[in-house]
Amino acid sequence: MNLDPKAFPQAARTALKDPTLKPVLGRLKTHFGAGRALAAQRYGDFESLREAGKAIREYAVTHLDELLTQFETSVVARGGTVHWARDASEARRVILSILQDVGAKTVTKGKSMVTEEIRLNPFLEANGIVPVETDLGEYIIQLRDEPPSHIIAPAFHLSKEQVAETFRVSHADLDPGRALVERNALVQEARAVLRSAFERADAGITGANFLSARDGAAMIVTNEGNGDLTRLLPGTHIVVTGIEKVVADMDDVAVLLRLLPRSATGQPISTYVSVMGGPRGRDEDDGPENFHVVLVDNGRSALIGTEAQDVLRCIRCAACMNHCPIYGAVGGHAYGATYMGPIGAALNPGMMGVAEAAHHANASTFCGRCAEVCPVMIPLPKIMRHWRAVEYAGGLAPKAITRGLSLWAFAAKRPALYRLGARVASRLLRLMSRRGAVRSVPVSNGWFAVRDFPAPQGRTFQEQWRGRHRK
Amino acid sequence: MSARDEILASIRARRLAQAPKPPLYRAPPTEGDLVEAFATKLAAQYADIRRLDSMAQVPAAIADILRGRNMAPVAHIAPDSDLASLDLGTVEIKREPPGQGDAAVTRAPFAIAETGTLVYAAGKGAPASWHFRPELEIAVLRESDVVAALEDVLRTLEARGGLPSTLNLVSGPSRTGDIEQTMELGAHGPKALAVLVVRA
Repeated sequence: MNLDPKAFPQAARTALKDPTLKPVLGRLKTHFGAGRALAAQRYGDFESLREAGKAIREYAVTHLDELLTQFETSVVARGGTVHWARDASEARRVILSILQDVGAKTVTKGKSMVTEEIRLNPFLEANGIVPVETDLGEYIIQLRDEPPSHIIAPAFHLSKEQVAETFRVSHADLDPGRALVERNALVQEARAVLRSAFERADAGITGANFLSARDGAAMIVTNEGNGDLTRLLPGTHIVVTGIEKVVADMDDVAVLLRLLPRSATGQPISTYVSVMGGPRGRDEDDGPENFHVVLVDNGRSALIGTEAQDVLRCIRCAACMNHCPIYGAVGGHAYGATYMGPIGAALNPGMMGVAEAAHHANASTFCGRCAEVCPVMIPLPKIMRHWRAVEYAGGLAPKAITRGLSLWAFAAKRPALYRLGARVASRLLRLMSRRGAVRSVPVSNGWFAVRDFPAPQGRTFQEQWRGRHRK
Repeated sequence: MSARDEILASIRARRLAQAPKPPLYRAPPTEGDLVEAFATKLAAQYADIRRLDSMAQVPAAIADILRGRNMAPVAHIAPDSDLASLDLGTVEIKREPPGQGDAAVTRAPFAIAETGTLVYAAGKGAPASWHFRPELEIAVLRESDVVAALEDVLRTLEARGGLPSTLNLVSGPSRTGDIEQTMELGAHGPKALAVLVVRA
């Protein structure tokens, strides 16, 4: 399990040789990719919907201060409390103090990538509070002490046999002779175990897909209903989310809701959509007595006004990684970060620093499919190129790349030298080729280790161009 | 400086340009009869949809659904529910919150044709957790409460003074795809959802 973004190249090589990953990653195309394509086609004018989603998120990202203060006022008017956290450690402390104030011992959790990002669970455990993940995927990886391998399918990397094995070890008080062959048997076992956790919990923590500034409400999508039991059964509900999740109102949420499940799982709508604002009202029969929202910055506001600002539009649907040839080859764990695939490549260098996460921005073929399927049209390859440029300018790129590029730039600025070089190179490469391809070149072993270069036909492009114009 | 002020200052100091407020988006209209569209879409999401002519047919339909699922003739109905005065005949009514193996009967105040979605607004007699606690939820819906889109529900709620503390959209029984990306019904919420769509 790689937990270090700097170790991405080694982890990726290991992942490529992992036989268990192949069938798993095949599901990206057959399940997520095919589902999204069908959902977009059935919707009709999906491109206009993407344009609308982009405009809504662009408005939000460029009005964050107004929308966040309006959101705060609306939450307070409903009897809730808003907390602000500059970074991960401040967010952890704020959440702990809310939990300690209500004397919480166990906390159920709905799926939240921000709580993964701020490493909340180990911190709560160290402070004597037991967090119980209730999204099935998150629950499975919590039992295995692993990070999520996909932002919407945390246990994407596991087979049902591995899940069965995990349940046998973790649910040691259940009958060892029980059958755990069918997926549904695993689902039912988790349902029964977690229901008692819901009933015992002192507080519930969920994320938010969006916040409505005007209503002071958080919206979440789930298929399981775990987020709702997390909010509704304990006495205290805490929403933990990033500052960029706010939009103007529920009409904006309604538009984004048409984009999110279609882009994520290919569903026209998730089974449950829940809009949660404040503690239970005076005339309401159930719901939490206390409602808190923790707004986490952790490097987000620093992206405003930079070439990476557009990444703040992200609605965390995972379409980019579902369509990415790199993610599709190495899976999520190789990245060693909470956010993987193209969104990780665009976000991590900004949030963790280029020195830490430049490998993610380099892990791209620039095929552009991520931008084509992004529901809010984030130019992901452009942002990755920006991080590559920052890496190069900061002298952080590997020596082989900086020297090679300097050499190329030197020649490219001198047309005569460049023409001569290209002529020599194309003829030399032709001499070195066997059966139509160059298979190795001295001092370029790394490049040729995994690919061949088609043999040049003899004359350079410029020679051919000049020849054609002479006729 | 407080975390709040520092974050807001950071946002304001870095911002270059501000995008205009986008025009209101209009979703493609739902074709044909709204009730029919709602019923077809929700049935495709593994819900048992039954069209009834009047409220008088509700008790028999509930008894039939319970029998069909081999469940005891017991239904949980919240004390202050619109349905609290309903006489279910042979089906015993319980008022406490339903457990994991129970059946709950709820009143859906709205439904959305676009996606085949029931909408519940938490309130007196409408506890939000009841949509997630039971094994089977039987929703009673009037045809006149089916609207085209979520935006229509929002307008009605605004006219009534805003959102409740919890608004639940339900489009089928609970499910998960978390194991091998293959859908299984009955994750945390109800394993089955039935909807009685009453004409008058």
